[in-house]
Amino acid sequence: MRIFRNKVAVLLIALFALVAGPFLGTAVAGGKIALVTDLGGRGDLSFNDMGFKGADEAAAKFDLELVTIQSNSGTDYLPNLQNAARTGDFDIIVGVGFLLADAMAEVADQFPDQNFAIIDVTWLGKPNLMEIGYEENKGSALVGALGAMVAAHNGYDKIGAVLGIEIPVLYKFEAGYRYGMHWGNAKYAEVTGKKADVGLLWSYTGTFSDIAKGKAATEAMLAQGAGLVYNVAGPLGIGDLEAITEHLEAKGRSAGPPFMIGVDANQDWMGDGHRVLASMMKRVDFGVYSAVESVVNGTFEGGVIILGPNNGGIAMSGKQDLADFIDFGIGGGAISESDRGRITDNWVAMRAAVPGWIWDAVDELAAKIGSGEVVIPCGWCADTIDQIRADYPD
Amino acid sequence: MHWAQALRKYLTPITESVLAGVIGLAIGAVIMLGYGYDPGAAYVSLFRGSFGSIFSWAESLANATPLILTALTFAIAMRGGLFNIGAEGQLYIGALAAVSVSLIHLPSPLHLIVALLAAMVAGMLWSLPVAILKLTRGVHEVISTIMFNWIAHFFAFYMIANVLTDPIRGEKTISIAETSRFARILPGSSLNYGIVVAVIAALLVLFLLWRTTAGFELRVAGHNPESAHYAGISRRKQVLRAFLIGGVLAGLAGAVQVMGRPPTYALVTGMSQVANLGFDGIAVAMIGRNHPIGIIFAAIFFGGLMVGGRIMQFSPGVPLELVRVIEGVIILALAVPELKRIFHFVRKRFSLRRQSHGS
Repeated sequence: MRIFRNKVAVLLIALFALVAGPFLGTAVAGGKIALVTDLGGRGDLSFNDMGFKGADEAAAKFDLELVTIQSNSGTDYLPNLQNAARTGDFDIIVGVGFLLADAMAEVADQFPDQNFAIIDVTWLGKPNLMEIGYEENKGSALVGALGAMVAAHNGYDKIGAVLGIEIPVLYKFEAGYRYGMHWGNAKYAEVTGKKADVGLLWSYTGTFSDIAKGKAATEAMLAQGAGLVYNVAGPLGIGDLEAITEHLEAKGRSAGPPFMIGVDANQDWMGDGHRVLASMMKRVDFGVYSAVESVVNGTFEGGVIILGPNNGGIAMSGKQDLADFIDFGIGGGAISESDRGRITDNWVAMRAAVPGWIWDAVDELAAKIGSGEVVIPCGWCADTIDQIRADYPD
Repeated sequence: MHWAQALRKYLTPITESVLAGVIGLAIGAVIMLGYGYDPGAAYVSLFRGSFGSIFSWAESLANATPLILTALTFAIAMRGGLFNIGAEGQLYIGALAAVSVSLIHLPSPLHLIVALLAAMVAGMLWSLPVAILKLTRGVHEVISTIMFNWIAHFFAFYMIANVLTDPIRGEKTISIAETSRFARILPGSSLNYGIVVAVIAALLVLFLLWRTTAGFELRVAGHNPESAHYAGISRRKQVLRAFLIGGVLAGLAGAVQVMGRPPTYALVTGMSQVANLGFDGIAVAMIGRNHPIGIIFAAIFFGGLMVGGRIMQFSPGVPLELVRVIEGVIILALAVPELKRIFHFVRKRFSLRRQSHGS
């Protein structure tokens, strides 16, 4: 409930800012904003689409023209950012993704009068660059705990994680997920009196774009008895879910288990509403929107902003988001309006099939994370991930 | 009338290419019209973006740098009658070798030279098994180079994630040492002195092919294997020459890319800053008629097309996917004259062989 209440507070603040913004700051109606992505573009129904969603919403709200620039290769990051900055037309240029970090560091120095923002990078420290990071470890702990308890409840002894490229941001997902799994095992034993020993299967696929690799990794995990698989690689979730769907079809079923756990966006609507148990929502849209909004309001400043469970940047998917993201799916052309009723019904039935005490336990963990009673590893995991893997083993 | 002959020799391919380019642009325009984008505005952006300012020139030349080298790899084999599509893998290995040299400390110009040499040797060694397989087991080079490309791909992934890994940022290798980097020619752009290496390499290949006995033998072997055999030119030697020199050039391409191209100066998981440069080199070689000078111009054109394509996303707002289709159409059209020549040549050789078998 705490998360929900916080989210309402954030919404109210955002609403106030929206209404009052034009009177407080210097509104730049009719301006332009640029969104520069890494190799992935629209259509991943996850990380990049969330970036676009935030930019689209901000552009519509503040009457701005949005130019999106997708990169063709790793050598494009720098010139794409430079080209945008050199025009001098953009009120803000937003880089979406960790992989743009080096290029952003250089361009921010090269164009000191241009406002920039970057998602998933928190260590550059430039006066004209807003750096937006997320507490993915906290959200991943929640879905890890949920996953372990649901898997144990359904008689599975493994949960999986299909990850993308091995970057420090993804270590945060892995670390939190590991912690959550162990917490969930302990909780399951405490409540049911039965020993739960759900283990972890994990794989870094080395890609954020090759959907087939997600499918292959998921198939391997299902074959080893995984009760659910956490998608931590944006578009690869489309492949993960395909593997799960085919696995179920072979058994003549449509609904999970096994399930997928979605990432970044609320992906619960995928898989007909009953194959994605929950999603670890990382509100990239919220980050991009806030960055644009700060420029419109005249409050933009360089520095690091951390978005997490306490300010609506990270959350586990609930029913209130489902309708919103069914719209997102319809917008992406993945489903149509006529699917809405069936997906919603399926989703409600799927969640109802999980015992209430499990949801209560997840809420309990969320509350403890929020109050600081439970500390989830790790802030910057690149140098600690080996230790975390040892402390919270497979 | 010697000059008139020479003029015709160069004028014909240039006219062909210009015509092919115009056809490619026209098809691209029709496609854009079909999707509701203004082709006029798009092409203005394309050309202004690629060659309209000093910065766009710099970016086009920076893109051309590795392509000149990988195109030479393909061209030198093609001149010897071989299809070497292994530049892609040799390039990864060359890049890895260049990064490895940054594990040791050396003074400034020496460090850079050692890194380049290491990349050249590594590329050459990676190319060697292909030549050996062809000579001893008769394995066709298209098959073996494709396989070696994949081996190099996964080997590079392993090395990035486990051996050469940056201790603070696990997604990339250690960075190339400052002492081993190419300086930038134009500050704030991607253009660096790596292009000098590429152009020198092209001139050396030009000299090799047309001013040395080895080059002459290679060209004869490629042009007419029967008469080469009759003249006592060793086929074994030509195959080794074509693949080993090709490997050196491709290895150099990988090195120049990681040592010169800002801002990362490292291989990143996914290898997106080097991936496909080997395959793009084939297209560049086709457009440049497998001639070193033609390749330099073709690479600059190709590089410019990529840079200008980015700008098409800005001004008429053509999405990247469509930009790539347009680029592909233009490249394909430009490659048609050379492709036609190669098909014609292969067919002639095939029918010759059939005749000799029949008699």
